[in-house]
Amino acid sequence: MNNQKDDFVIEMLNITKVFPGIKANDNITLQLRRGEIHALLGENGAGKSTLMSVLFGMYQPEEGVIKKNGEVVRINNPNDATKLNIGMVHQHFKLVEVFTVLENIILGAETTKMGFLQKQEARKKVEALIDRYGLKVDLDAKVEDITVGMQQRTEILKMLYRDNEILIFDEPTAVLTPQEIDELMEIMRGFKREGKSILFITHKLNEIMAVADRVSVLRKGKYIGTVDVADTNKQELSNMMVGRPVQLQVVKEPAKPGDVVLDVQNLTIPSRLHHNNAVKNVSFQARKGEILCIAGIDGNGQSELVYGLTGLERPSSGKVLVGGEDITRASIHKRQDYLSHIPEDRHKHGLVLDFTLEQNMVLQRFREKQFEHAGFIRKNAVRSYAEKLIEKYDVRSGQGPTTIARSMSGGNQQKAIIAREIDRDKQLIIAVQPTRGLDVGAIEFIHSELVRERDEGKAILLISLELDEVMSLSDRILVLYEGEIVGEFDPKQITVQELGLYMAGAKRMDPSEMSVFKKEERKETKNGQ
Amino acid sequence: MSFLIQQTLLYAIPLMIVALAGVFSERSGVINLALEGIMIMGAFVGVVAVRSFQGMQFFIDAEVNGNWMTLQLVGLAVMLIAAVAGAVFSLLLSYSAINLRADQTIGGTALNLLAPAISLFLISLIAKQTTLNLEGGLNSADIFMLKRSTLGISPTEKLNFFTDTFVVKNYPATYICILVFIVMAVILYKTRFGLRVRSCGENPQAAASLGINVFKMRYAGVTISGALAGMGGFVYAMTTQNCSANGDVAGFGFLALAVMIFGNWKPLNIAFASLLFGLLKCVAVSFSTLDINGDGIFFLTTIPVSSYFYMMLPYLITLIVLSLTSKKSRAPKAEGIPYDKGMR
Amino acid sequence: MDNKLSLLYRKDGTQKILSSLIAILLGMVFGSILIVIVGLTSSDIGGKGIIDGIKLVFLGLFSTGTKNGSLTFGFNPSLFGDMLFRATPLIMTGLSVAVSQKTGLFNIGAPGQYLMGTTASLMIALSIPTSSVPPVVVWLLAFLGGMLAGALWGAIPGLLKAFLNINEVLACIMTNWISAILTSWLFDVSRFSIFNGPATSAMGNPIVLNGSFKNLIESTKSGYVYMTSYNKVATAKLGLDKIFPGSQVNAGILVAIVLAVLVYIIIHKTTFGYQLKACGANRHAARYAGISDKRNIVFSMAIAGGLAGVGASLYWLSGNTEFAWQTYQSLPAVGFNGIPVALLAINNPIGVIFSGVFMAMLNIIGTRLKALTAYNEYITDVIIAAIVYLSAFALVIRMWLGGRKKKASMQKPAAPVSGTPKAEKSAKASDQTVSEEQKGGAQA
Repeated sequence: MNNQKDDFVIEMLNITKVFPGIKANDNITLQLRRGEIHALLGENGAGKSTLMSVLFGMYQPEEGVIKKNGEVVRINNPNDATKLNIGMVHQHFKLVEVFTVLENIILGAETTKMGFLQKQEARKKVEALIDRYGLKVDLDAKVEDITVGMQQRTEILKMLYRDNEILIFDEPTAVLTPQEIDELMEIMRGFKREGKSILFITHKLNEIMAVADRVSVLRKGKYIGTVDVADTNKQELSNMMVGRPVQLQVVKEPAKPGDVVLDVQNLTIPSRLHHNNAVKNVSFQARKGEILCIAGIDGNGQSELVYGLTGLERPSSGKVLVGGEDITRASIHKRQDYLSHIPEDRHKHGLVLDFTLEQNMVLQRFREKQFEHAGFIRKNAVRSYAEKLIEKYDVRSGQGPTTIARSMSGGNQQKAIIAREIDRDKQLIIAVQPTRGLDVGAIEFIHSELVRERDEGKAILLISLELDEVMSLSDRILVLYEGEIVGEFDPKQITVQELGLYMAGAKRMDPSEMSVFKKEERKETKNGQ
Repeated sequence: MSFLIQQTLLYAIPLMIVALAGVFSERSGVINLALEGIMIMGAFVGVVAVRSFQGMQFFIDAEVNGNWMTLQLVGLAVMLIAAVAGAVFSLLLSYSAINLRADQTIGGTALNLLAPAISLFLISLIAKQTTLNLEGGLNSADIFMLKRSTLGISPTEKLNFFTDTFVVKNYPATYICILVFIVMAVILYKTRFGLRVRSCGENPQAAASLGINVFKMRYAGVTISGALAGMGGFVYAMTTQNCSANGDVAGFGFLALAVMIFGNWKPLNIAFASLLFGLLKCVAVSFSTLDINGDGIFFLTTIPVSSYFYMMLPYLITLIVLSLTSKKSRAPKAEGIPYDKGMR
Repeated sequence: MDNKLSLLYRKDGTQKILSSLIAILLGMVFGSILIVIVGLTSSDIGGKGIIDGIKLVFLGLFSTGTKNGSLTFGFNPSLFGDMLFRATPLIMTGLSVAVSQKTGLFNIGAPGQYLMGTTASLMIALSIPTSSVPPVVVWLLAFLGGMLAGALWGAIPGLLKAFLNINEVLACIMTNWISAILTSWLFDVSRFSIFNGPATSAMGNPIVLNGSFKNLIESTKSGYVYMTSYNKVATAKLGLDKIFPGSQVNAGILVAIVLAVLVYIIIHKTTFGYQLKACGANRHAARYAGISDKRNIVFSMAIAGGLAGVGASLYWLSGNTEFAWQTYQSLPAVGFNGIPVALLAINNPIGVIFSGVFMAMLNIIGTRLKALTAYNEYITDVIIAAIVYLSAFALVIRMWLGGRKKKASMQKPAAPVSGTPKAEKSAKASDQTVSEEQKGGAQA
């Protein structure tokens, strides 16, 4: 390494951070050059966020030192980091929803007179920054009312307001449309031109290739290496990240769609958050032996649509048919005879974390004769059933069936849910973000299970925010925008960029081009007669 | 009418100040179920303090000479003492809720049990009965109320409506409370401190990431809450219980919680809500002597409704009001959730 | 041997019991400190008074009185019997709080449910003439009436919580006060006409009840309701009075124990209990699984109310206790004390039996303090409050006790195939963390 040429603004040397039972960072070294965009690559759980939290003063490392401009510094809290001009856009935005954008920007760095807030001064400074970097956002809007993109800009403005020179972006693109991602990349290049140094945390290879100068790779808490982006390629980076050659594509036969299993007709579902409907007059069908994917940006009605199908929310109008039977008004319990549901949030809906694994395995089925006798639980039957599932789906846990679900790893929790839902053996599987937050091994397992179920003749409705997953796993794609279906595509015949335009509402397919609407018209004319 | 307004204010003002106490705590992220207990503590310590002042020479002189300014200053001093007592007592809640991250409902309940127990234990030792009154059979009004005589108004003089309603037979403590209420509301909304406290009740992780000390802010919120509730407890005892303490404020602290929820955690709404509840409480307590239109007839006793019904009314209305507003009410997002540094 | 001991120490149950014992001990120490402070500042108590006070705090149950001015101790059957008698309603209100806790609700409404149980139970027991209906049947009807009244009263906050999402704590407190006023109201105005004939009192004297529940025949007792024994209704003693002569004990304690065991079986062995627990541990997941969270919330509160109501029935149907009906300014402490009973038992129904008896012992200690020293019975309330406070962070005590064990089990990684540190961390974080994350995700 040529030290003379290297002008490091930040160096993290031999950092080790231990959490109870786990070494999140094991002797990691990261050196950030002045004015570069440096990507930090790793899987979920590789230790990227921990490392950045150490840099930002939220954790104290057990070993290692941090240097700024060659001098050792101690960063005990975010205040110290701010004083060193380090700023961070967190993966989950750190915004106070009921505050205005301006209040969020000044919070913690308020200008005051006798303790009273002086918002006008702050406003001038923020407005100047908005003009300079083109970060359009309404300063007086409440954060809860603005789009995700604007929220991210608010976060960026928070850093700029504090005159930060070193900017950390923690998985900034996870929530953005492809177009918004392009804009963000442009903004980052702008910062680079201004001489700011950027640390860019991601697990997406395309973005690294597009914007970064150098990339450091972490795997399972360990430092793997640093390479110039110009000297590498996606396959090499991917191998470094996972530690073995990775199949970037899901292996599957072309789908052979059969009879209609799920038939949704003119479904409208009210929203809990605002006055509009969350799902507006939506119709579509899912068939045997196909994976139908609903794509879209988070918050466009996907959750409510799933709630409407599974009974967690009452539709205000429309019909849901499974296997020809109308279940629109059926109870959640009754619907379980028709469908399996892998929920979006495994902790909120999927598991009772304080129950044992075996208790979780019969969450829906405890009333069945095999598990209940005269009101009493057949403990032995539950035990052997749980053991069977654990064996079959390779769910790993400390004490087998009696493990408390809370103590299991995220991947194994998700496997347990998948096992439970698939084993219920219903004609329709609704899988909502089934791989969220998991590492490659678990993702591969879940993808292959879903494909196998498809091949066994199930209809699979996949709701995913990850475009890579949408493109590689689905046989057909519907795009949901503001509660309406705005496009229907074959994944082989559309690019991610094109899909992004539909997801952002910039483009809209003519209803006559979509099979879902053609059928509806037929029905209407029939009704008309 | 004047009587009705005066009586309503007597109940509304402590309610308002204690509801604001709840706001400070909850806006910082800690559910303060202990308002009732803190009020009891404030009332008890306040009454004990007044009794101590009664033994001091300057107080006796002031009382004999009718030096009402001195007496009012004593009242103010005791309000401060009660506030300090409430603040100190609330530290128990802060410690369990913030440092030990314990269940805030149970912690608050513990304080609600502890306050009457300690005060009754001590009251029984001091007074050999379960109520602690002022020394020498003195009335609260003798010391703390503005009367015609104290203001040099002759007993026969006809007073205008304003003086009759808001000056004579009023406790200046009422107006001090209103002032405190306004000042604290301004602090909550217009200062850096207020902004930071509120951020901790909504998203403590965000606050921490901006270098705000969530522990400190929550301690500040709960302590201010304790001070306000302690003061409110004493004012309640002073103005409605003839300055006596009996280890009980009859669910007043919980009514204040309901007022806070009804007022949607916002000071202005709380002010109105407490007037409504003050009126109800006033009707419940003094329905038999309420002469609404001044014709000498106690209207409410002429209609065949049981007195028990009026007593029940504040609690009943609270339930109804909560039922009507529960869908719209919007609590601070992070209230009741212990803040854990390691959590993201 | 050492191995076995440490194994026992590491057991979850052992640590729960230990943490409760520590809370009890610290609570009593706190009470003793208060006794010392008060004794030192008060002129009329003195060193001996202080020591007597502390002795009684720890050994009050075995107090047999005084001899030559100093306390004497020994087995006192009447205190034991009274303790069991007083434990009966405490066990029931403790069960009430524990059952609601299993469903994730905090039933602070036990005082109100207890009062409604009292009202229904006494009214039924006094208004059905035993001249035409066998006393046992009247007892049973009054018992069931008390249970039903408590259940209905408990169901109100349950319904408000389930369908309008009103905080059950606030709703319970409001219904408490409403029930206190309602009870006074009902006893104040209600008349009964059936039971107007001559009857004989417990003492065998013929008396004429004048159609009011208020005791108007004994001149100083109009603030009280008749004892049920005036109508020959009283809980059977089943020989317990022979074992504990001179005490109020009766078979009610046995009923309470049986009910505690029953509640234990329902909670831990049946699908109904499974549903209640699922709702309590994660309401969202229960709903997802097709378990009606609303129905279970109402059921749980109704059962809790019914248990508190039974507590009232068992206490007042003893026939030897008078109920002061002017309750509109006060709530029964036995209701609130269900909270420490449940907390000390860590919501285990079997544990409630023991913690209920312990609470009753504190109660007895209070009466001994008042009778034999310059102190008063409120010191036991202070101890109880301190115990509740300590129970609030019993979890912290438990973690501190089990510190070694936790670390050990965590270092033995649970098959980290796809276990990612991050996922594992969030898995260990509380449910609320998760929904926090979820919020982040939703806004993101």
